[in-house]
Amino acid sequence: MSVRAVFTSRLFWIGVATLVVGALLPLFASGYVLGLLTVACYTAVFAMSWDLLFGFAGEVNFGPTFLIGLGAYTAGILDARLSPHVSMWLCVAAGAAAAVVGGVLLALPALRLRGPYFGLTTLVAVLMLQNFVVVFAGLTGGEIGLSVPDVMSVDAHVNYWIAFGFMALSGAILFGLSRSAVGLILQASGQDAVQAGALGFNVVKHKLAAFIVSAFFSGLAGALMVFYMGTASVGTFVDISVGVQVIIAAVLGGRRTVIGAAIGAIFLIGTGELLRPLGEMATLIVSVIALLVILFFPDGFLGILRGGARS
Amino acid sequence: MLFWQILIDGFAISALYALGATGFTLIFGVSGVLNLSHGAIMVGAAVAAWAAAGLLHVDAYVAALIGIAVGMALAFATYFITVRPIQQSRRIAEPEREIFILTATLLWGIIIQELVAYLYTNNAKTVLPIVEGVVTVLGVRTPTNEFFTAAVCWVVIGLLWLLVNRTRRGKAVLAASMNARGVTLLGIELSGIYLTVWAVYGLLAGIAGILLGMFLGVSSYSVGPLTASAFSIVVLGGLGSVSGSLIAAYVVGYLETITAYMLSPAYRTIPALLLLIVVMYVRPQGLFGRR
Amino acid sequence: MEHKAAALIACGTLAVATQALAADPIKIGVISEAQAVAGSSIGPAAQLAADEINAKGGVDGRKIEVVVYDNHSSSAESVRAFQRAVSEDKVNAVIASYISEVVLALEPWAGRLKTLMITPGAASDVITQNIAKDYEHNKYTFHGYLTSSALAGLVCDAAKDLLVTPFKMKTAVIVSEDAAWTTPLDAGYEACLPKVGLKVLDHVRFSPDTTDFTPIFNKIEGEKPDVMITGISHVGTQPTVQWKSQQVPIPMFGISSQATNSTFWNDTNGATEGVLFNAVSGPGVAVTPKTLPFVAAFQKKYGNVPSYSGYTAYDEVYMIADAVHRANSTDSDKLVDAMEKTDYVGTIGRVAFLPKGDPHVHGLRTGKGYITGLMLQWQNGKQLNLWPQELANATLKFPAFVKVATH
Repeated sequence: MSVRAVFTSRLFWIGVATLVVGALLPLFASGYVLGLLTVACYTAVFAMSWDLLFGFAGEVNFGPTFLIGLGAYTAGILDARLSPHVSMWLCVAAGAAAAVVGGVLLALPALRLRGPYFGLTTLVAVLMLQNFVVVFAGLTGGEIGLSVPDVMSVDAHVNYWIAFGFMALSGAILFGLSRSAVGLILQASGQDAVQAGALGFNVVKHKLAAFIVSAFFSGLAGALMVFYMGTASVGTFVDISVGVQVIIAAVLGGRRTVIGAAIGAIFLIGTGELLRPLGEMATLIVSVIALLVILFFPDGFLGILRGGARS
Repeated sequence: MLFWQILIDGFAISALYALGATGFTLIFGVSGVLNLSHGAIMVGAAVAAWAAAGLLHVDAYVAALIGIAVGMALAFATYFITVRPIQQSRRIAEPEREIFILTATLLWGIIIQELVAYLYTNNAKTVLPIVEGVVTVLGVRTPTNEFFTAAVCWVVIGLLWLLVNRTRRGKAVLAASMNARGVTLLGIELSGIYLTVWAVYGLLAGIAGILLGMFLGVSSYSVGPLTASAFSIVVLGGLGSVSGSLIAAYVVGYLETITAYMLSPAYRTIPALLLLIVVMYVRPQGLFGRR
Repeated sequence: MEHKAAALIACGTLAVATQALAADPIKIGVISEAQAVAGSSIGPAAQLAADEINAKGGVDGRKIEVVVYDNHSSSAESVRAFQRAVSEDKVNAVIASYISEVVLALEPWAGRLKTLMITPGAASDVITQNIAKDYEHNKYTFHGYLTSSALAGLVCDAAKDLLVTPFKMKTAVIVSEDAAWTTPLDAGYEACLPKVGLKVLDHVRFSPDTTDFTPIFNKIEGEKPDVMITGISHVGTQPTVQWKSQQVPIPMFGISSQATNSTFWNDTNGATEGVLFNAVSGPGVAVTPKTLPFVAAFQKKYGNVPSYSGYTAYDEVYMIADAVHRANSTDSDKLVDAMEKTDYVGTIGRVAFLPKGDPHVHGLRTGKGYITGLMLQWQNGKQLNLWPQELANATLKFPAFVKVATH
C-alpha cells in the first residue's frame, strides 16, 4: 500500500489526534494523572503488539504476558544482580532480546497448531513462566515481587515523556507495518491461510515475523515499565489476568486497528482508576464491563466509529 | 514405607485431578468450549459449602450438598452468560467465536474469583470433612478422608460412564460430541443436550471442588492453578478424550507426588510442566487427542 | 487605647493564623492488603485512632486525615499507591503493609520521595539493615513491628519456659515458608534453639503456594522431633487443617500469623486446637492499660476483633501525631528526628526505636520493659495466653493425637 493511502485513512488521523492530545497533557495534568497515563502508555504498547499478532496474523495469543514477563523479569533480574556494573539501558535491551527469543521458542510449536491448541499453548507458556518465577523465588523475588535499584526518573513529567514517546514510536511502527505490504500479507494469512499459501506467500515465515515483532515490542515495553516502577512482580507482568487486560484493551478499542488497542488500553486504565475508591470492587466491576463489551460490542470503540465496516 | 505412602497419596490426588479433568474435557468434547472458569466453579462450590456450614450451622453432608448445588448453578451461569450468547451472536464471525468464548469464560472466572476474595478474603477455607480420623494401611497412617476422596471420584466417574454408555440421554450426548448435526437430524433437541452436559459438568466440578476443599482446602488464589492444572492434564491426554484425561491425570498426579516426596515439595509442579512442554513440541494433540 | 488595639489586632492575627493552620489537615496514607485477614485491620485501626485524636481537638488544632490504598498484596501496586499518595494526595506520612516484600519495595521510594514511612506488621531484618547501610537515604523508614530475629528470640525464650523446662523436650525441626521474613527468622532459630536446649534436627522450607503438606509432614515425622518450630504467615489454614486430619503426632509452636486472627477457628473448622503461636496481643490480655480499651473500641466500631497489625497501626497514628506535635512541623526530616525520640506506651508495649549506629536502627526496642510479645494457644475456640507467666491466663494442653515424649 502506498504512503498516500496511509495518510488518507481515517485511522491515521484518529491516531494523530490522540498523539496531539497526549503531547499537550503534561502542561495541565497533575503528577498523579501523568503517572496513570504512563502506565497506560506501556499497556497500550502491550495491546498494540498483541493486536498485530491477533488482528492481522489471526493468532490468538492468550499469553501476551509470557513475552511481557520475559522482558520485564530479564531486565529486572539483571539489574538487581549486576547493578551498578551494568547500565539500566543494557538491561532493557537484554529484556527485549529475551522476549524475542521466547517468542521464537513459543512460535515454533505453536504455529504448527490450529484453533484451540494454539491458544492453549500460549496459555501454558504463561503458566510455565509463572511457575518458574514462583519456584525460583530466590532469583526472581517470587510471588510478591522483585525490587530493582535503578529507576529511569523520579519526576512524573520525565517518566511520562519517555512512556509517551515510546508509545508513539511503537504505535507508528506497528501501524505502519499493519498498513504495509507485509501487513496485508499477514491479514490475508490470518483470514485464509490456505488461499494465502496458494498465492505463493510463505505464511509461516510471515507469522513468525509477526511473532518476533510482537515479542520485541512487548518485551521492550515490559522492561521499560520495570524501570519506571522500580519493581517487578507476577501480578503486574505475568499473571493471566494481566494478559486478559491486554486482550480486553485490544478488543475494546477495536481489533485489527492497532490504534484501537492504544485507545482501549487508556480507557481501561482510566476506568480502573476512576473506580479505585470502590476498593476491592474495582477489579470486579472492570471485569464485568469488559465481559459486557465482549458480549455486546465485539467490534469495540473504533468498530462503532467506523460504522461496522469490516477490514 | 515411603513407597506405599507415595502410592496411596498419589492415588488420591490423581483421582481428584481425574474428576476435574473429566468434566473439563466433557464440556470441550460436546460443547466445543474450553471453559477457563473451571477453577472458579470448583472454588465457588467449596467456599459455598464452607460458608453454609458457618452461617447456617448445618452438618457436613448438607453443607457438601449446598456446595455441589452452587457448583451446578455456577456452571449453568457460565453457559447462559458467557457461552450461549456468543455461540448465538450474529455480531461475531463464526471462526472468531471460540476466541471470544475463551476470553469470556476467563473473564467470568476472574469475576467469581474477585467475588470470593471480596466476600470472604483470600484466606484458605476448608470444607467440613464428612469422614474424619486416620487409618493405618500397610504401615502408612493416612487420613480416612483420602480413601473417601478416591472412592467418591471413581464412583462418580463410573456413574458418568454408565450415563454416557447405557442411558438414552447419555448416548445422545455422546453422539452429539461426534456429530452435532447428525443428532438434530435424528430429531433430538440440541439445546436439551447442552443443558444436560452443563448440568453434568456442574455436578462433576462441584463434587471435585468439595472433595478438594475437604482434602486440602481452597482459596481465591487456587482458581488460576486449578484451571491451569485441569487443562494441562486435558491437553496432555488429548482434548476431547475422556480416557486420555484419566490417564494423564494419573501421570501428572504421580509425577507431582513422587517429586514432592523424593526431591522437594517446592519443585512439585516442574516435572509435569516439563512433560507438557515435551508433548507440545513432539505430539501437540496429546496422547489420545484428535487433531 | 493603643495597647488594646494592638492586643486586638494581635489576637485577630493569631486567630486567623491558627484558623489557617487548623484548616490544614495532617494526612496519613495507609497502604494495606484489604483482602488479607492480617492486613484488613490496618486501615480501620488507623481511622479509629484518627477519629479519637480528632475528637480531642486534633494535633495542635489540626485534624488527622487517613487515606487508605488497597495494594492487593502486590509490591507493584504498593509502589504505585505510594507514588500517588505522595505526589497527588500529598500525605505527610505513610503506614504501609504487613508483608516484608512490599515494605522492602517501598523502602527505596520512601527515600527517593523523602516521606516518612512506618510498617505495622512486616518482620524482615533487611528493612532495618538497609537503613543501617545507607542511613541518609533510608532514614525515612521505621520498622514498627518486631524483626524476625527478635521474634526468633522471643519464641526461643517461650519454648524454654513452656517446652524444655516442664516436658524436657530435646529436639526440634524448623518448618517455614520460603519468604523474605523467614530467612532471618530461621537463622535466629538455628542460633537460639540450641541455647535453650533444643537440638535442631532439620530445617524445612516450603514454597508459599504449597497446598499439599502431606509430604512435608511425612518427612518431619520421619525425623522424630519433639516439636515443630514454625514460621508461617502466607499459609496457615491448609497446613493446620492437614496437620490435624493426618494426626501428625508432633506439636506446632512458633510463628503462625494467621492463627492470630479470631476467625482462624472457623477457617480451620477447629483444627487449630492446640496450636501454639506468638502474638503481640491476645483476647483479654492487658499488655498495657491501652490494650483492652482499644480492642473494645475497635469491636464496637467495626464488629470484629482487630488482627495484630491493627494494634500497631493504631499506635503508629498516635506516634505520628505525637511526632508532628513535638517537631511542630510536618517537614519529613524534622518528623524523622522527632520519631527517633519516640517513647510511647502503646497497645502492645512501650515503643522506642533503636538509634542511629545500632545495626537494627529504627527497629523496635525489645525485652523486659519494652515489647516482649506473648505465646498463645487455641483451646476450645479461644485464644488463651500461656506466656510470659505474669500475663498467663491458662495452662498448656496438647491435643489428643500429639504424642509428647517423656524424657
